[in-house]
Amino acid sequence: MIEPLTTALAVPPALPFAAPFTESLAALFTEPFTALFTEPFAVPFMARALAEIALLALICGPVSVFVFVRRLSFTSDALTHTVFPGVVVGFLAGQLFAGALVAAIVTAVALTLLTAGGRVSDDAATAVLLTAMFSIGVVLVSRRSSYTSDLTTFLFGRLLTVTPRQIAETAALAAVVLIALAVGARALLFRAFDPAGAAAAGFRIGWLDLWLNLIVALVVVAAVRAVGTILVVALLIIPAAAARMITDRLAVMAVAGTVLVAGAGYAGLLASWTASLHYGVALTSASSVVLLLVAAYLLLIPVRHLRRRRATPWERHVAHEVLTPTPRPVLEPSPPPSPLPAPSPRGRSDRQELRS
Amino acid sequence: MNWWDDALHRATAEVVLAGALAGLVGVQVVLRRLSFFTMALTHATFPGVVAASIIGVNILLGGVVAGGIVALGVAALTRRRGQDASAATGVLLSAGFALGAALVATQSGFSRDLSSFLVGSILTVGPQDLVTTAVALAVVAIVLLVSARPLHLIGFDRAGAEAAGVPAARWDLVLLLTIEVVVVTMVPAVGTILAVSLIVAPAAAARLWSDRLLIITPLSVAFAVGSGLAGLWISSRWNVAAGASISLAATAILAVSYLAVGARKLPARRRPPLAAAT
Repeated sequence: MIEPLTTALAVPPALPFAAPFTESLAALFTEPFTALFTEPFAVPFMARALAEIALLALICGPVSVFVFVRRLSFTSDALTHTVFPGVVVGFLAGQLFAGALVAAIVTAVALTLLTAGGRVSDDAATAVLLTAMFSIGVVLVSRRSSYTSDLTTFLFGRLLTVTPRQIAETAALAAVVLIALAVGARALLFRAFDPAGAAAAGFRIGWLDLWLNLIVALVVVAAVRAVGTILVVALLIIPAAAARMITDRLAVMAVAGTVLVAGAGYAGLLASWTASLHYGVALTSASSVVLLLVAAYLLLIPVRHLRRRRATPWERHVAHEVLTPTPRPVLEPSPPPSPLPAPSPRGRSDRQELRS
Repeated sequence: MNWWDDALHRATAEVVLAGALAGLVGVQVVLRRLSFFTMALTHATFPGVVAASIIGVNILLGGVVAGGIVALGVAALTRRRGQDASAATGVLLSAGFALGAALVATQSGFSRDLSSFLVGSILTVGPQDLVTTAVALAVVAIVLLVSARPLHLIGFDRAGAEAAGVPAARWDLVLLLTIEVVVVTMVPAVGTILAVSLIVAPAAAARLWSDRLLIITPLSVAFAVGSGLAGLWISSRWNVAAGASISLAATAILAVSYLAVGARKLPARRRPPLAAAT
């Protein structure tokens, strides 16, 4: 499916001057300590992997914010799986990219229609679509001989064998995604926080949902071949979820998500390089990037906890807290009073609810 | 020659048992909208299974431990206000899978294990798997029978159940752990994709036919077992992957039910307000 490592290493770098430039850059930092952090990326395939991650960081930050506020985690997960039959058919036809694109668009449309139908609950519909499309891919692949290795490639991608052409494709799709997001951002946010209001204001909810699903589908297509399904799911869900811990503002969340992905991408590649080269541990680069993202999420949980206790009542009313449909028992005993002098928003709301 | 010596016979028995298991728990999964949680569990038990096989202890034990951690994690994260359950589930899903993949990559014979984990190898189930599935079926059936009333109550009127003194959080945990047991039992034998498919699709199809739990549950079990047998037959007839053909058979049952029920009662389009937002 994708050429083995040895041939990929023989591919010349995209820019002829890039190698001497990075070499001189590496030579600049002659100290052994800094060289430890820059040296791996002087190797062309590592530099290409880093470029791919940086491009994905650029789109995954903003897109993950929408995935978060619309609770599309399962939809993203489903899209990464349903692209699989498209990849298989595309591979057989020699048009891998087109195959993935068609499968992603078909899934986005089908998901929008099924979840709007209302007769089957939307999570069940998503699960069934996911398993069905993936099974079609497996059936197609199981007729071929090199079955298991293809499946592995699809799951983990080949981050280290990303070709300049794949980077160009990712860049083109990233531009399309960012433009599509910029065009629809206001309407999509309106729909996310106040569906009834958006419908009353004349927005077509169904079309907006389709728009966002298509954007997510494009991100998946841009990323899945280079970095594999696991990493794509992580990139679409974790950045915004982690950024949500430190801020309530959506724009800040998007930027923080991008920074987080770029940082985790850099550190993950470095960790996988160091582990494999110096310690002889086979650490796949996609896994290490995801695990670092998860670690960031876990580390930020206490930050959120601290921030919530200090939050002013005004801050409590950020829109997607209002949207949260948590069925809250009215007779819940109020939590122990906060040690901070400021009135705790939690205790306050409890009192209000008890009074009403 | 013993009847159990034939691989196809063992696979048939396994499909019947796993179908019954999935059909039973699937009703709860569909009613409580826990499909994503189920999907996350199938991925998140992966590192436990891998770690257990590296250390050399029973695979099921590793799966149970890892799945238990995830179930408790989801319960803890969703109880806190303002934490998004779907995002938390997604984080756990990718974390579990990445961890499992990292562990697998340190071993050799990498890709084969992984693909059997994903699509299963139902034709290679041994007597041990059959016994495990049968025991799990008995345990799950008893647990669901005992907890039927509180789960029923919480599922349809959570606030009312809590006001009536039912400890909803505790029963939720019971339900999550039951689903976990089902997933852990099914995944080594039939694979993750098939497990999710057999749990969700037959129950969703049964839900279309009736509004009564007493009818939905047996219907769901029948659909699950039926799609398992049909998929197995298709697989042996046309030589395609068994897990995939079973899951496609389950999808076909759902699609047929969708069309049939839609034709039967066309105006019954219930659409709760804000359904798309939740």
